[in-house]
Amino acid sequence: MNRPLLKALLTAALLIGMGASLGAFADAAGALDGVNKKAIGMFFVFVVISLGITWWAAGRTKSTSDFYTAGGQISGFQNGLAITGDWCSSAALMGIAALIYTTGFDGLIYSVVPFGAWPLMMFLLADRLRNLGKFTIADIVSLRMARVPIRSLIASAGLAFVVGYLIVQMVGAGTLISNLFGLQYEIAQVIIGVLIIVYVAFGGMIATTYVQLIKAVLLLSGATFITVAVLAKFGFSIDGLYQAAVANHPTKEAVMQPGGLLPDPINAISCGVMLLFGGAAMPHVLMRFFTVPDAKEARRSVAWAATFIGYFYVLTFFIGYGAVVFVMKDPHFLDANGVIRGGANMAAIHLAEAMGGDILLGFISAVAFATIVAVVAGLTIAGASAISHDLYANILRHGKASDAEVVKVSRYAAIGLGALGVILGIAFKEQNIAYLIVLPFTISSTVFFPVLFLAMYWRRLTTSGIVAGGWIGLASAVVMLVVGPTIWKDILGNPAPLFPYKYPALFSMTISFATMIVVSLLDRSERGRKEVAAFEDQFVRSQTGLGAEGATQH
Amino acid sequence: MEHIYREIHRDPRFHELERKRGRLSWLLATIVTANVMWYVFATAFFPEAGFARFWGTPIGEGMATTWGIVIGLAQTILFIVLVVYYIHRANGEFDTLKDAIVADATRAAGDGK
Repeated sequence: MNRPLLKALLTAALLIGMGASLGAFADAAGALDGVNKKAIGMFFVFVVISLGITWWAAGRTKSTSDFYTAGGQISGFQNGLAITGDWCSSAALMGIAALIYTTGFDGLIYSVVPFGAWPLMMFLLADRLRNLGKFTIADIVSLRMARVPIRSLIASAGLAFVVGYLIVQMVGAGTLISNLFGLQYEIAQVIIGVLIIVYVAFGGMIATTYVQLIKAVLLLSGATFITVAVLAKFGFSIDGLYQAAVANHPTKEAVMQPGGLLPDPINAISCGVMLLFGGAAMPHVLMRFFTVPDAKEARRSVAWAATFIGYFYVLTFFIGYGAVVFVMKDPHFLDANGVIRGGANMAAIHLAEAMGGDILLGFISAVAFATIVAVVAGLTIAGASAISHDLYANILRHGKASDAEVVKVSRYAAIGLGALGVILGIAFKEQNIAYLIVLPFTISSTVFFPVLFLAMYWRRLTTSGIVAGGWIGLASAVVMLVVGPTIWKDILGNPAPLFPYKYPALFSMTISFATMIVVSLLDRSERGRKEVAAFEDQFVRSQTGLGAEGATQH
Repeated sequence: MEHIYREIHRDPRFHELERKRGRLSWLLATIVTANVMWYVFATAFFPEAGFARFWGTPIGEGMATTWGIVIGLAQTILFIVLVVYYIHRANGEFDTLKDAIVADATRAAGDGK
């Protein structure tokens, strides 16, 4: 794609984006009250700024390295914020608050447990990943393994991960926006789709990074503001807040106690395993380690990310209970039957209105929208790199494609994924999609974590082991999900599930690890022998960074 | 590059670095995993199991804040502290040793050619 054409397309997209937003603005202004105008106005400002950045980034995105990793020139601090942006989806703000609102203490399992993934990532994966990788996680594994079977597995699992996550975000966004902005669901989908395509296809990783960064700052400031406002109502007495929550919640003291959310111990443990190990190996997050110059900066970015994300999770300890106190009994937020308007997911948003009126409501709504757009952009670039780098350049073209060709395919892949997101978002409209978030986390803990962990730590691992374990693990995870309680019983309407647990990760991860180990040990092939022998050099590189991509060697 | 890798692999300091860093990583990773699993088990086995029962008990007479809340917050802060501690060791002590090993090996490999 040449420069004038790119500029022309970018201008067109910019105008469409502005037009759509303005149209929506006019539409909403005619039909709805001032609240939505403020929200849309603030979101509009975010859109204009992010498109400006994309314009600037597009001029700097020429090679594949620019496209996938921003040329490896992002600083640790910037990357830490951008990772925070990737990590904290709208589920982190609205979902955790919703769970605390309904079930109390157990909702915090989604704060503490996934956060445990951060130190784990730092201690076991980050250094070695940065030292071994180039653009995608498949690069790390294929260093000493056979290229085609490894990349086929990881790219397929990666695309399943991205699409599952994408549907959750798109449907969540559509519902949120029709609630908040008074926009039609389909229009909201198209706006998000167009924005994502513009960010990713033109601005690549540079634009995506800055969009994430701005969104992280917005999200952290919004959540801080709500928390301070809530605590201020109790003279900054934390116990005062919890006293009020106990008084207000139908379960009384139980709202501060564990035990309400997960149906049985096996499900709880499986869910914990899924969040911890799945969270530690998410491709769109790990990919960000390649945007910094070396392992030192990769560690710095993890430290910053852990600080920001940890801080955000600390705030969730107050926001959810704040909603119990200030939303649960306020008729302004309840419908005729006394049920919260827009569902429990709106608890955090209603709390913003209760604390800061129209302005804060508008701000938080815009933040929630920006959050979804940014997370979808991060997923799209991860998906586009799986398609263009793993599938196209390395499998289809056997590593012989030119840089320009690969960048072109990446842009088309981003356009395709954006369009797919819109189509799936519309197809899954008004369906219960909460179960879909289990899919990406299960894939991550069943395929990515065992593959990466064993490839970096276990000498005897061979391609045959990875391929057998990865595919069998993936298949078992999908089958257990389909015949499990959520899909088989609740959605398909069968009387009883064939597999009793909602979260299959404990089982599928065990199957995956066990198969990889057994098949590798049984592997007597010449190829397997060479792969084991190559571990030594890979190990030195993983420990020292010598020969790593983008590192200076002297 | 391969001959430098061999050279590094022969250096006893490399194995010392690997052992030291490995021991620290695994120790910290175990602490984190144990904490997370404690949280998960407390949720799963409350209120039957002894290690979970006190999670629902208020931290003081007439207070609403439970031990579970305090532990959850403390764990979150502990994780941040452990990450910062690790990066301090890795970017300082370990990287200094690593740089020395790599420099010596590069020189030795250059001389050997």
